[in-house]
Amino acid sequence: MAKLTIPRQELMYSGHAACPGCGPALAMRLLLKGLGPRTVVSVPASCWTVIATPYPTTALGVGMLDNAIEATGASISGLRAAADALGLGDLNVVGFAGDGGTADIGLQSLSGMLERGTDALYVMYDNEAYMNTGVQRSSATPQGAWTTTTPVAGEARGKLEPKKDIMAIVLAHHPVYAATLNPSFPEDFVRKVEKARERKGPRFFHVYAACPPGWRYDSDQTIELGRLATYAGIFPLYEVEMGRLRITRRMGQLKPVEEYLKAQGRFRHFSPEEVQQVQEQARARWDDLLARERAANPPERAAVPGEPASPALPPPVAGEALGRT
Amino acid sequence: MLEIRFHGRGGQGAVVASELLAQAVFFDGKVAQSFPFFGVERRGAPVTAFTRIDDQPIRLRSFIENPDVVVVLDPGLLRDTPVTEGLKPGGLLLVNSPRPPEAFSLPLGGRIATLDATGIALGRKVGTATMPVVNTAVLGALARATGAFTETSLERAIISFVPSHPEENRAAARDGAEAVRTEPVAPSTVAPAPAPPAAPLPFPEGPMASRPSHVLHTSSWRTLRPVIDRDRCTRCNFCWEFCPDDAFDLDAEGYPLVRLSYCKGCGICATECPPDAIQMVTEA
Repeated sequence: MAKLTIPRQELMYSGHAACPGCGPALAMRLLLKGLGPRTVVSVPASCWTVIATPYPTTALGVGMLDNAIEATGASISGLRAAADALGLGDLNVVGFAGDGGTADIGLQSLSGMLERGTDALYVMYDNEAYMNTGVQRSSATPQGAWTTTTPVAGEARGKLEPKKDIMAIVLAHHPVYAATLNPSFPEDFVRKVEKARERKGPRFFHVYAACPPGWRYDSDQTIELGRLATYAGIFPLYEVEMGRLRITRRMGQLKPVEEYLKAQGRFRHFSPEEVQQVQEQARARWDDLLARERAANPPERAAVPGEPASPALPPPVAGEALGRT
Repeated sequence: MLEIRFHGRGGQGAVVASELLAQAVFFDGKVAQSFPFFGVERRGAPVTAFTRIDDQPIRLRSFIENPDVVVVLDPGLLRDTPVTEGLKPGGLLLVNSPRPPEAFSLPLGGRIATLDATGIALGRKVGTATMPVVNTAVLGALARATGAFTETSLERAIISFVPSHPEENRAAARDGAEAVRTEPVAPSTVAPAPAPPAAPLPFPEGPMASRPSHVLHTSSWRTLRPVIDRDRCTRCNFCWEFCPDDAFDLDAEGYPLVRLSYCKGCGICATECPPDAIQMVTEA
C-alpha cells in the first residue's frame, strides 16, 4: 500500500450538503485531518453552516458552535476563555468563516481577536463572494469578476474594485502565525495546519476555496483550477511566522494567468487588456513576496528563485515525489 | 386553474422553467404565478418549483400540494423522491426519460408523457456535457402534452428571457414538442396500499444535532458515477485525497473503493487520476 501523505482519520463526515466539487468542503476535510479530534469549530452564517447541518445531523466529527455572521472572532475568544476555565488548555479553538463573514461583516471581530492575542486559529475560506445566498460580490471578489450584483452587460464589466488584501490587514496585527493554504496542495495544507496547531496565540489562515457554481466552471476542475491559481501567482502559497515570510511553493517562472481566467465563466468577458492587467498584478504580487522573503532572511541565506530559501527548509514532502508538479 | 409542480435538481433549470412558463402564459393573455420551494439549493440537490395558470387573477399563495401536472426533469429523482405525491387522479406525469410512457405507472390513473430531453439538450448543446440544461425541451413537451399554453408564446418567452443561447433553447423546445409521447394509464385494479407509517428517525429527536451526517445519503445528487479500473490503478490515493465528499475508502491493499451512497459525481477523482484509471459513466 502506497504510503499516505496526509492523515487517514476523517473528522468531516459524508452526507453533508455541499455542492459537487466543493472547494470549501475539501478545505474543512483537510483542516480537521491536521487538527485532530481535540477541536471545536465556530462557524458563522456561511455556506458551511448549511453544509454542516442537514437537520438534525452534523457533518463535523468535532464540536461546532453556530454563531452570527459578524461574531466569529468574538466567539472564538469566548470559546478559548471557556476552554481554559475548564482546564482544556489543549483544545484547538478554531473559527471557520467565509470571505464575506471575515473581510466584510466580521472584520472588527477578527481584528479584536487578533489584537487581544486570543489563542485560537481563525480560518477564512475564500470563495470570493457570498455564495450561500447566491453569488453576491464581497470585498474579496477579484476585480472584474462577474457576480449577480456586479453584472457583465453593456458597459458593466463586473466588479469595479480590486480584491481586499486580507493577509495585509491580518499581518498588521502581527499574529504568531499566518499562512495561505490551497486544497490543491494537500501536503502543504496539512503541514501548515499541524504547524499552526503547535503554536500558542492568534493564528490566521487564508484558504483558497474554489466554487463551481459561483465561479462558473465544471465541478471536476476544482483541483486543477487551484493549481493554476498558485502557479500563476494569483494565489501564492506562503507563511509568515513571527513576521518572517517564507514562500512554501516556489515557482521559477509564473504560468500565464490567461489559462486560469479562461477556465471560469466569471472572467470569460475579459478583454486582452484586462487579462494583461491581471498578469501584471500577479507579477507584482510575486515580486513583492520574493522581496519580503529576502528582507526577512539574512543576506547569506538569501533565497534564490527556483531553489530552497535556506538550508533549514524541511525536505520535500512525499506528494512531490509522486510527481505532483 | 391548472397547477403544475416541477421536480428537478439544482442547475437543471427547474426554477427558470417555472418562470419561463409563467411568461409564456402572460404572452397568451392569461394569468400565471410561479415560485420555487426554498430548500438546500445546491447544484445537484433536488429542487421543487410551482406554477399556477388561470384566466383570472390568482389569490392563492400556498405551495401546490395537489397538482394537475407533475413535471420531472431528472428520471433519477424517481428513485427516492415521492414526485407523484398528491397528484390528482386523472392528472399528467411528464418525465424526462428515453423510456416509453409504458415504463412508468400511476396508481390513481391519468396520463403519462415522456421525452428524452437530456438527449435533446446534449444534441442542441444547451448547458454542458456534464450538466445538460433540459428545461426548455421539457417546456416544449409540456406545451404539446397539456395545451395549457401555446408553443408560439413559449418560443417568444425563450427568445425574450433566456440569457444565453436563446436560439438553441428555442430549437430544443421545438424538439421537445415533437418528441413527447403521451399515453393514458388506467388506475391500478388493486387499491393503492395505505401509506406505511413514517419511518422513525434514525436518531432521537432533540434540540441538538447529535448524529453524524453519514446517516443521510447523497447518491441521488449524482448523474455520473466513477468506475475504477483496478488493473490501471497505481494506488497513488489522489482520488481519496481530493474527494470533497469523503466518498472514497481504501481497502487492505490500498486500492480505492467508491462509497456510492455518498458520491455526488463531481468528477474530480477521474480528472485527477494520473493513470486515467477512473471513468465517469452516466447513471442508468
